[in-house]
Amino acid sequence: MDDVITDLPPPSRFLLEDLNNFTPRPPHLPSPFLVFSSPNSTKIFCPSILIIALSSPSLHFLHHLSPKTLIGTLILPEIPFSGNSTKPSLKDKSCNIYTLNEKADETIMIALVQFSVTSERAHAVSKLLIGGKINPRRVLILDSVERRNFRGKLSSDEAIAFKLVTSSERGNLTAGDSSVVKGLDYYPSGSVVDGLGAALLSRCELKKIKGTLCVSWPDLGVPVMTLVKSLLVKDVLTGVSYSDDGDYEAEYLKLSRRKDRVDSDLYT
Amino acid sequence: MEFYLEEGRELNPNSSTLILPALSVGNVGQLAVDLLISSLKADKIGCLDDPNVLPCVGNDAYSPAPAGKLALPLEAYESSSSALTLVQQRSPVIKGMMIEYAKNMANFAAANGKKHVIILSSLDFGRWKNIDMSSGMQMYYLSSSNADGTDADCESLGWKSLQDYNPGQRMWKHLDELAEEGSMIDEDFLFEELEDEDYYPSLPFAALFSCFKAKGIKVTCLLCYCSEGDNIPEAFYMAEATSKFTGLNQNQFHGNGADKWIAPFSWQSVYGPPADMSLF
Repeated sequence: MDDVITDLPPPSRFLLEDLNNFTPRPPHLPSPFLVFSSPNSTKIFCPSILIIALSSPSLHFLHHLSPKTLIGTLILPEIPFSGNSTKPSLKDKSCNIYTLNEKADETIMIALVQFSVTSERAHAVSKLLIGGKINPRRVLILDSVERRNFRGKLSSDEAIAFKLVTSSERGNLTAGDSSVVKGLDYYPSGSVVDGLGAALLSRCELKKIKGTLCVSWPDLGVPVMTLVKSLLVKDVLTGVSYSDDGDYEAEYLKLSRRKDRVDSDLYT
Repeated sequence: MEFYLEEGRELNPNSSTLILPALSVGNVGQLAVDLLISSLKADKIGCLDDPNVLPCVGNDAYSPAPAGKLALPLEAYESSSSALTLVQQRSPVIKGMMIEYAKNMANFAAANGKKHVIILSSLDFGRWKNIDMSSGMQMYYLSSSNADGTDADCESLGWKSLQDYNPGQRMWKHLDELAEEGSMIDEDFLFEELEDEDYYPSLPFAALFSCFKAKGIKVTCLLCYCSEGDNIPEAFYMAEATSKFTGLNQNQFHGNGADKWIAPFSWQSVYGPPADMSLF
């Protein structure tokens, strides 16, 4: 049962400092930046689709996908590198960027966002990933439903997913072109998505890029992994040659069963 | 703050009045703007992108059968029949960045030819002093028309000017200084405990008021006292007051019959899902 004394208030209600003009500004942080392996610093990447993985099931599945080529990474200066390994690992606090199926017109780019981006930093990160050095024709963001933002009922036994799309993507659908993910209902009106997923989709809308935000529930468990994998395999990766190493299912099951997850910079 | 127009839309140069909410207890301003947009069937004309506003997205907040039209944190609507522009704000401002946000909004209004800005907001009942509630809910206001905050049009509607407003009070003066470009918050104010007289100027509506005033734009804040809870009634009260103040007539609304108001579809779940009946 919620503790009404100490629990955070529901998201629509304010703390005193939220409504105070004289609350101190947040400390200044250096801007995030992209680092690419390509020596050509002026190159603009124009993938046919940019897939941005934020949710656990999507991170797990896409991390185990091959062959993909690591082409760059996004650095958030406030995230320490300590504990990261030299080869990409799901345990790293990183945001690596890969290409999959690099062909002339059909490059798929994948960004695995494995660190937590605060809402205050989401605007800056979204500007880096979309519409600057990376100019995708289409964007798919894979995020999770946050229970505190959802105004319907959620069951931890039932895996579900919803979508939100930009006007360009909706116009695409009206014209008869197929959706990048099929068979999903729109996120119900009255519920919201916040954080980096929201910032990325907003950026797509403002830049008139075809964008889809897919939010799944719950964040762990085999049913939601199966659902997310199915969306990617059947809808997004059709016609793409890839393989996945079978370990990811066993690893994901272990992660889903682990009850106490330690996520601290003290332990590296 | 950047303004992105919707495809095929233009700003109506005749829409010289801007209505927008200021964040406040009970989210009354935001709820009232929702009600106005829904009932006037105002058209979305664009979005504002401000790095000081936290990100959020959702499905269409207004249509009875939402078909996936994306809702963003800051959206601009126009009701051409009423010559009004309305800006809805759906998510909070980053802590400590309210003045920056207010300056950006004032720059937007000035750049787009707005002559009058109406800010809708609320005040905490817990802070009231000497309020007379014997005749029911009372609307308060703060206007830039006169130096003492009063305005003849508001007085004629039976509204009361904001109690204890004193433009010479230290925090109001500091806000006026901050509203000028290039000025910074006096660090001494950041750590002092706010006194009673500092309450009003500490609120978001005051930052917006000072910044619009600094741009030479007429600004009127409409305020009502409330407690946090089910604030829908206050939203209706605020929207009705706005409607009277801007001279809207019944024909400009699209409600059914005698009730001109159309509650947005998203309000059906504003307080969460219904209780699980299997408990009973």
